[in-house]
Amino acid sequence: MILLKRLIDWIDVRVGVREVVEKELTGYLLPRNINTWFSMGSVLLVIFGIQVLSGILLLIYYVPDADKAFKSVTSIMNDVPFGWLIRMCHAVGSNTMVVVLLLHMLSVLFMGSYKRPRELNWLTGFILFTMVQGISLTGYLLPWSQLSFWATTVATNSANAIPVVGPALVEFLRGSKLVGPATLGRFFALHVALIPAGMIALIGAHLFFLKRTGVSTPPFGLQNTTNQWQGDSYHHEDHPGGIPFFPNYAMEDLRSIFIYLACFLAVVFFDPYLFFPKDAFIPANSLVTPAHIKPEWYFLANYQVLKIFPNELIGLTLQGAAMTFLALLPFVDRGKECHPLKRPLFLLCAIGGLLLWIGLTIWGHYS
Amino acid sequence: MDRIDHMGALFMRHPATVMKSSAALARYVTCCLLGGALFLMAVTPVRADEIVCITCHSALPEKYGEPVKLWKGSVHAENGIACNACHGGDPRDAANAMKKDRGFLGAPKYNNVPEFCGRCHVGVLKDYLSSAHGRALASGGPNCVICHGNHQIVKASLELINEKSCSRCHSYERAKLIRGAMQETEAMVVAIDARIMAFKQVGTDTERMEKELFATRNRFHSLFHNVDVKKVIEESTRIKGELKKIETALAALDQQSHTHKLVGALAVAGALLAALLAHLLRKTFD
Repeated sequence: MILLKRLIDWIDVRVGVREVVEKELTGYLLPRNINTWFSMGSVLLVIFGIQVLSGILLLIYYVPDADKAFKSVTSIMNDVPFGWLIRMCHAVGSNTMVVVLLLHMLSVLFMGSYKRPRELNWLTGFILFTMVQGISLTGYLLPWSQLSFWATTVATNSANAIPVVGPALVEFLRGSKLVGPATLGRFFALHVALIPAGMIALIGAHLFFLKRTGVSTPPFGLQNTTNQWQGDSYHHEDHPGGIPFFPNYAMEDLRSIFIYLACFLAVVFFDPYLFFPKDAFIPANSLVTPAHIKPEWYFLANYQVLKIFPNELIGLTLQGAAMTFLALLPFVDRGKECHPLKRPLFLLCAIGGLLLWIGLTIWGHYS
Repeated sequence: MDRIDHMGALFMRHPATVMKSSAALARYVTCCLLGGALFLMAVTPVRADEIVCITCHSALPEKYGEPVKLWKGSVHAENGIACNACHGGDPRDAANAMKKDRGFLGAPKYNNVPEFCGRCHVGVLKDYLSSAHGRALASGGPNCVICHGNHQIVKASLELINEKSCSRCHSYERAKLIRGAMQETEAMVVAIDARIMAFKQVGTDTERMEKELFATRNRFHSLFHNVDVKKVIEESTRIKGELKKIETALAALDQQSHTHKLVGALAVAGALLAALLAHLLRKTFD
């Protein structure tokens, strides 16, 4: 202990580490009515860490070659020590990351935390959401199974509906007319380099904006639930008399992280095949189309929208419009009220939208 | 594909080698269908039966249309072996599909059926010809379709040896003894196959076990045409010993899965305990 204190003293006199701890951890105050939903961001950081770590371990044995990819994944699952665990963590983690990300976004929506001055927090978060979808889609192809191959064929085919540039865009995405080795190379580069690098940059920006604006006050248990930001000058939202981040809220973060880990490990060890249809373990064959190829559960609503409309362009346009509206929500919804029950129009649209998404997902699953 | 290749080594000739040009045509048809499907921005399943033989004969009445209905319920249909694989012809040209210069063979005569089927089922043909059934062919003995069916060809199994079928030509007594001797082994083969498939569907590498089972099963099924009860019993016992080795390997996989679940339960319990600890610590700071 003495040695540790000496080490900290040694660092402290040089870089003032105690001051940083005081300012950023023990002296960093959060609203007294802060709730568990605020810990979703920390859970997401842990998930991202697990994905990066398991992804790096998978990279050691994975071969991004159309002739060898499936065999290399089979070898990881069967021959590499704990390979099955690493792969399952990565595959299950990609799904649970979407679940937690959706919960995080919903909590931000319902507590009005996206409202000004936090437009940039919302925007970076929303772009991160689309990047998570992108990294999941590109990762889906890498095992080079029947599921990977045909799900990617269906997904990339959707771009064909875009007028004029559609066919060229499909060819650009695939690297050839049809999904093939060139597609695998592109998706691999996107999955392991470009998108993760973009995500790290955006996570940094998201945290920077959070740090500069301060943590928002949840609208529950307060008399005045309106947004107090005046908009005349930069203002960090302080919470005098609040609870310190460390140790108080750090423990709440840890509790959420461990509850998440318990659920995550339960799926990994007891039913990892929840996210694997049987076509996921059959090598890709461009000449045999499986009867019922479906995308991952979080793309089922998009898939069903494309099926509902006779013209895919209408389906794509509607989805694009919905995504743009969500991305720009803080610029559209400029009301000061944050409490969901005092925003009936918002509540109606949010619950209606959520039910529509769930309905389309279920419909997509059974269609 | 591995399975068929392996089968080729033991028992069969790969259909592709028999009907090389037809396979190439089928691939071409598949590619065309696939391209069309992509163009229409919808993925349409490409089925092996989407050939002109099926299209035309499905619409024909009685004896011309009946084979299509029967074939649909066959082991051939299940494995994508379509009309042209046996009868030849050009499956993509309706006008010339049944011309001799396109390799159309038509239906074989009664005595030629074993040879007709034996183009692919090489090992089975050998077993059949050396069996009592095969030796009696010239004098009106049963050919392949008598037991295995015509068009609605069923997978070789012990179910084919039954009183109703056998007693059409002779008494069931000896056949009953043979079936009894093979019953347990057949049940083992079926059970092991199901277990291997279950492991395969969750990403377990079952290639070696599949090959072992395939070789053993083929050897076992070659006994189906044998009527020497003593030999059938001896060989069945030997085969059961080999199947037990595969069962041991499967039991090891079961044990591994059980261990994973045990470790998982401990990991989940540990995470929940840590969550409880964090919760209690959080409470102390209120």
